[in-house]
Amino acid sequence: MAFASKSPWVIHYDGSSCNGCDIEVLATLCPGFDGERFGVINTGNPKHADIFLVTGSINEQNIEVVRQIYDQMVEPKVVVACGICACTGGIFHDCYNVLGGVDKAIPVDVYAPGCAVRPEALIDAIVQGIAVLDEKSAALEQKKKEGVA
Amino acid sequence: MTLLITLIGCLVFAVVAPVVGCLIAGVDRIISARMQGRVGPPLLQPYYDVRKLLEKENVSVNGVENIYIVCALVFTIIAGGIFFSGGNLLLCVFVITLSSMFFIIAAYSARSPYAEVGANRETLQVMAYEPMVLFMAVGLYLGAQTFDVRGIFALDVPIIASTWLIFIGLLFVLTIKLRKSPFDLSMSHHAHQEIVRGVTTEMSGPTLARVEIMHWCENVLFLGWVGMFFVWGNPLSILLAIAVIVVVYFLEIWIDNNFARMKWQFMLKSAWIVALVTGGINIAFVVFL
Amino acid sequence: MAFIAFLIIFPLVAAAALALFHSESARRVIVLVAGFVIAIVSIAFIVVALPAFGGRLILIEFDSEIIDHIGTGITVLIAVVVLYFAWRYKNFWAGIIATIQVVLALVVETLFAHELDVPFGLYFDGLSLLMTFIIGVIGSGICIYAIGYMEDFQAHEPKGARDRRPMFFSLMFVFLSAMYVIVFSNNLIWLFTGWEVTTLCSFLLIGFTRTEEAIRNAFRQIIMNMAGGIGFAIALYCCTAWLHTASLVEFIAYGSMAAPGAAVVAVFLAFAGITKAAQMPFQTWLLGAMVAPTPTSALLHSSTMVKAGVFLLVKLAPVFAACEVPSIMVMLVGGITFMLCSFMAISQSNGKRVLAYSTIANLGLITACAGVGTPEAVWAACFLILFHALAKSLLFMCVGTAEHHIGSRDIEDMDLLFDRMPRLARIMMLGIMGMFIAPFGMLVAKWATLVSFVDTGEVALILILGFGSAATFMFWAKWLGKLAGIAGSPENVELTVHKSEWGTLLLMAVLLIVACVLLPLISLVIVEPYVASVYGALGQDITSDNLWIASICVVFVVVVLFGSFGSPRTRRVKVYLAGVGEDHDARTFRNSLSGITTATARNWYMEDFFGESRVAPIGVWASTIVMAVAAILAFVGVGFGVTPLM
Repeated sequence: MAFASKSPWVIHYDGSSCNGCDIEVLATLCPGFDGERFGVINTGNPKHADIFLVTGSINEQNIEVVRQIYDQMVEPKVVVACGICACTGGIFHDCYNVLGGVDKAIPVDVYAPGCAVRPEALIDAIVQGIAVLDEKSAALEQKKKEGVA
Repeated sequence: MTLLITLIGCLVFAVVAPVVGCLIAGVDRIISARMQGRVGPPLLQPYYDVRKLLEKENVSVNGVENIYIVCALVFTIIAGGIFFSGGNLLLCVFVITLSSMFFIIAAYSARSPYAEVGANRETLQVMAYEPMVLFMAVGLYLGAQTFDVRGIFALDVPIIASTWLIFIGLLFVLTIKLRKSPFDLSMSHHAHQEIVRGVTTEMSGPTLARVEIMHWCENVLFLGWVGMFFVWGNPLSILLAIAVIVVVYFLEIWIDNNFARMKWQFMLKSAWIVALVTGGINIAFVVFL
Repeated sequence: MAFIAFLIIFPLVAAAALALFHSESARRVIVLVAGFVIAIVSIAFIVVALPAFGGRLILIEFDSEIIDHIGTGITVLIAVVVLYFAWRYKNFWAGIIATIQVVLALVVETLFAHELDVPFGLYFDGLSLLMTFIIGVIGSGICIYAIGYMEDFQAHEPKGARDRRPMFFSLMFVFLSAMYVIVFSNNLIWLFTGWEVTTLCSFLLIGFTRTEEAIRNAFRQIIMNMAGGIGFAIALYCCTAWLHTASLVEFIAYGSMAAPGAAVVAVFLAFAGITKAAQMPFQTWLLGAMVAPTPTSALLHSSTMVKAGVFLLVKLAPVFAACEVPSIMVMLVGGITFMLCSFMAISQSNGKRVLAYSTIANLGLITACAGVGTPEAVWAACFLILFHALAKSLLFMCVGTAEHHIGSRDIEDMDLLFDRMPRLARIMMLGIMGMFIAPFGMLVAKWATLVSFVDTGEVALILILGFGSAATFMFWAKWLGKLAGIAGSPENVELTVHKSEWGTLLLMAVLLIVACVLLPLISLVIVEPYVASVYGALGQDITSDNLWIASICVVFVVVVLFGSFGSPRTRRVKVYLAGVGEDHDARTFRNSLSGITTATARNWYMEDFFGESRVAPIGVWASTIVMAVAAILAFVGVGFGVTPLM
């Protein structure tokens, strides 16, 4: 059994959003939805996190930031694009400085659309992300074993 | 002979303390969640967290911080072994300080600005609680005429009878040692975002897991110190000690959830004043009267 | 006997040879050979003496008019030298004090001491042997270290500067000789002579560079220590006039029976010891001594000078156990010094100043132990002396070497030393750990100190020790942290370190480790017999099982420190800089305006809490008042009808 699925620690990064999704992400962790029931903890440090929640679109300024946060996360890791802006660029998609969704910068595993994304959708997305996390974790375990052998 | 007992103590502590500490951490999180009007995670959530961290890829900033952390963990276990095998309390205090020092060096060695802030704060915390911890050991000596913890089993009255002021002082610094708000400057449980988690900023995966395990062991040891005040010749007194530990830990959780973090100035001043007043008056009282 | 004579005379011969031969290569050979010979003879002496006599007190029958006269001659000579310098640099106070002192000394020596024969002029016991080890091995180790150091030092001097190294090395060896006189003399007059020689030597060594600052600090040193010398002379007067003895051993015997008048003698001897050990309010001379080349500091701080002060105090411990007034004075001065100097060390960023404050603080602890005067306290004091000498000499030499290679002695500049000077940084870390952390010897000694304070119910000292130790942790840990930082692979600058420096550094490091691991054994062989011979009781509460646990921990720590670092199995990642890092090793990142910002982190110095200007006056006044009150009380005690012993 992989334990990755039992303790998904998330890190939240806000690209260029209207902050609606950010409020929902934080609401997910508040008493009303209580993400900690599933072991979700909001960390501030990519080195501690398993799931990367990105809200808002990717632009020229933040693309490097998003890449670096992703790089600093330790395997196995999963990226969830939260809200329509993070999925595709949303209403900002044709803005002069916007490149598009998060997948323009880093590989995205789960897309959670919505404007703003609802906490229920977010919890769903995290649970889907957990499944991916489990797969990656198993793959990593396999790699470790091969490395030893 | 003492060497052998201590060795056995360490081995037993190495097995038992993480289990107990993990359960305590689980209960802590559930109670905290209930105090905040949430349901909270399962009881074994801390265990899941650590297992997950152990499964993650092993990366490091410079290849040495994980060695320091292993040292810190080992010395925590040795300190616990010394205490619970009835060994010398001063030695136990010194070894746990050694463990803190390795923890601090691990943070410094990463040379990350955030970790350094955490390390500085951790150093300050050690300085804040150290006097009181030493006075606690002196309190044991005044009550039991020995620094050996096993001495308390030969007593007719528990040492709390003569050292209740020191006990209160210990409760005050316990908040720092258990890393509870308002004194969780260097590394906190709740606000995971705080200076991106201070001392542990650059620790990830298995290294972070070891830090967690170390923290569990430390908590068990510190609660052992609390219990020590209530044990005497009667074996049933151990039950009393456990009851006191439960109450004290609940109190700590309550404080944790009800107070915002203080500035370091307040922590240092208040911890030293409390140590001076409680320790000084108590020791003077016992010595002169 | 032959050993003692050799140990006292041989360094003088070496000093003379160094003064005569000025060539670089001759000096190197002489220092190396003399250093080795002194170290080997010292060890041989210990090896021969220990099995034969245990740690007991052995008096040696030796009395010589000629030596008395030589002693008087040296006293006059010292005064002449000081007066010359006082005249040359127009220092009024130094001249006055030197005059008072020489007059007093001559009066005592010719009028009172002359009729008193001290048939057993020399002696040795466990403490002397311990000191022999410290002086012989550590002291001469520092001399050898100085060979390489002074070469670099001369190279850093401006071109055409006068090469005063012959004098420097001569003085170092004279120093060693004087120290041997102090630890072996039973005759107080001889001891006084040795005492004054160390004062003069350190005066000349501190003023070595002849810069304005050096001269100012040298005069501060000589004024304070000559004042201590006056105290010594008064003690001599009281001792010879009232107790009719000039023998240290006899005085201690009288004193531990609380003989009338002994308290006054003890107060003044303690005053002399306190000045020499740089206790508050005299701490400034040792801080000023920093201007001298580092080997001087190492010598002054670890094996000589200040150790002479605490040696005398520890020697007098049985007297303190019996006489209340000097005991309380010494305890309080030591305790206050320990706590406040530990506080002030936090606020310092100059590495040598931190070391200086830590030295004064630890000497304060030793002083307090001596003041308590119980067997446990003396046991602790002996180990504090030993481990302090080892760790501190190691640290001074590390800082000196680092200074020559990174160009600074500021702790903030020692960032990344672990990369730039990997071996040196590890040795330095070992030294720092040796100073403050369990399970190294220093902490075991502190532990014993705490036990002895608790045993005797010294509430104030318990509190002082608690807070002082906490401060000690703070200032060492942050320095240690600074050293431990690792980032990238900056240029390794330690390849040019001289062989003589490496040799001594390694020797000290090994000695420190061995001494820590074998602590229970040293206790059994030297210190316990000494304590037992003085008090007739064994002096320590820490069971040897606990000591062995500590030893095991030492081995573990050392293995970690010097063992295999940097296992290649883990993937290396960059540090987190919250955003886009540019150069992670240099800690630069791109800020929100796309500019480059460097993250800097400095240690905490907490000036508002522990600044010198806040803390020092408290200690100076408190200590001064304590000593003044003690002196008055002691005289009042004599005045109350206690007739001097006939």
